Amino acid sequence: MEDSMKDRIAQLENHIMKHCLWQFHSRTWDREKQNEGILTKTMQLLCDEPVKRDTPADRCYWVDAALLAEAFKTRYPWLLKMDKADIKLLMQGLKERMDYVTITGSLNLELTDQHY
Amino acid sequence: MPHHEFECSKCIPERKKHAVLKGPGEDLTSALPAGYLNTIPGSISERGCAYCGAKHVIGTPMKDVIHISHGPVGCTYDTWQTKRYISDNDNFQLKYTFATDMKEKHIIFGAEKMLKQNIKEAFKAFPNIKRMSIYQTCASALIGDDINAIAEEIMEEMPDIDIFVCNSPGFRGPSQSGGHHTINIAWIKDKVGQVEPKITSDYVINYVGEYNIQGDQEVMLDYFKRMGIQVLSTFTGNGSYDELRAMQGAHLNVLECARSAEYICNELRVKYGIPRLDIDGFGFEPLSDSLRKIGLFFGIEDRAQKIIDEETARWKPELDWYKERLKGKKVCLWPGGSKLWHWSHVIHEEFGVDVVSVYTKFGHQGDMEKGIARCEEGALAIDDPNELETVEAMLKLKPDVIFTGKRPGEVAKKIRVPYLNAHAYHNGPWKGYEGWVRFARDIYNAIYSPIHRLSYLDISKDEIPTDTGFATQKMVSDANLSETIVSSSTLRQYTGKYDSVSDLRKKTYPTFERQPVETA
Repeated sequence: MEDSMKDRIAQLENHIMKHCLWQFHSRTWDREKQNEGILTKTMQLLCDEPVKRDTPADRCYWVDAALLAEAFKTRYPWLLKMDKADIKLLMQGLKERMDYVTITGSLNLELTDQHY
Repeated sequence: MPHHEFECSKCIPERKKHAVLKGPGEDLTSALPAGYLNTIPGSISERGCAYCGAKHVIGTPMKDVIHISHGPVGCTYDTWQTKRYISDNDNFQLKYTFATDMKEKHIIFGAEKMLKQNIKEAFKAFPNIKRMSIYQTCASALIGDDINAIAEEIMEEMPDIDIFVCNSPGFRGPSQSGGHHTINIAWIKDKVGQVEPKITSDYVINYVGEYNIQGDQEVMLDYFKRMGIQVLSTFTGNGSYDELRAMQGAHLNVLECARSAEYICNELRVKYGIPRLDIDGFGFEPLSDSLRKIGLFFGIEDRAQKIIDEETARWKPELDWYKERLKGKKVCLWPGGSKLWHWSHVIHEEFGVDVVSVYTKFGHQGDMEKGIARCEEGALAIDDPNELETVEAMLKLKPDVIFTGKRPGEVAKKIRVPYLNAHAYHNGPWKGYEGWVRFARDIYNAIYSPIHRLSYLDISKDEIPTDTGFATQKMVSDANLSETIVSSSTLRQYTGKYDSVSDLRKKTYPTFERQPVETA
């Protein structure tokens, strides 16, 4: 039986949490940029869309996205069977979940600290 | 919130919010202890102070510098040589430590004159060293000595001298982490941009948050050089003062320790537009991913892949020999800060051990987020534990080994739990492919050392078996392994040298053609 979308998002989230560091920058503004930059580019790579990487910052997002997209495809074969519209929905759900766990639902009191 | 209350800390109710159990279904929105708060009165914390954090952890690994503390000699002694951040200039910064030796009379009459005299004497004693870091302590901060003014006077009188002043007295923050912040920000504010970088490659990085513990930095430098990447500076292990003044010239900041060093990377990003890439140098998979990321960034991923293939082929059979013998062993992962998350997943994945507890003495909630996210269900996460709590946790969790610092490590030994030094290592370096195998070997030696079995017996009351002989490590570790594993012709124990670093210093590297510079 096919996993539900929620279960699939949970699998991808678990992979990010176990293997990546980019989602845990120290402040809210930074985490928002990281989640947006890397997960958007991951979605574009998974959907064979062009990925902007002409600035140093974009290149940084892109390399994290490239490794993430490759790991997703290798570890979760069900992803290869999904059509692009569904991948976009999945990645949108993942982005919302990551924003919740690392930003809006986070218990980390330092996220909004204005000073280092 | 699944808080955990220690029996021994029931009399300090505030402690409860500093420990959580990662239960089934728990995530970071429901399980995260408080962190980086002032130590609770009555809880005998094992944290270092902010002076120690600035000097001992971050500043002193810089190699070509006279590191002098303006304060009582005890502050200096306690931050001297206790962490093995070696360097390739005969360990100057480890061999020598300097203090102005403030005493009661200086508290009354001031110590600025004495500081100036000490600075001159130090440079006279080591005429080849032209750089100095001065560290403020509680004593010199409280009497208000103007260290910056003295440093300015000296630099005017001795133009070939450059001095960095770090005003991070012990009370500047709840723990040593406050000192990490202060020195990071002070360095970028006062020193970066003062020296013009010498660029020798098309691919230039700053390697930030790496302290060359037993040679970690030199192992990573080897990989970067094999990829044709110029490491402009390392902040700060084996790092050079003047190279670190030229950090603004790099194309990329590669960040290893995202606790203490992320601020300097963030500032370099804001001020000079240099992006930040977080990496993991511990473990085969995280390290391979890190090299690939850096390779991809510069468009030289083939060079990274070559290293990954060579190193994996050479060392993986040795890693797997240990993994077979470490599977299922219980570990308390109790380091100071970043290793709690660098290691919490990868030691489970690549050594097969189960992390039953993580703690951090000075980490922030951000460190705990990473550590809890990466460890498995059932782990107990503790912030700033006191000694009684760690003993209670060990008695309850019954770990086979703990990875921690020297002070809690010695306590662990007393209750017959082997420990490995997570801060300064046992037989490091532990970074890199070979280093990771050395770590596995150290864990194996810790868990299976015959001394622990002998020490479990109390000759005053236990019956001493006389019908069995002495059991070696291998007899114990291989007792329940299958014959296929035991007699495997591919798996093998560590075959590297006792010293895996010195040869790297003599190594020569390929030269890579540089791309011609485009002109308008």
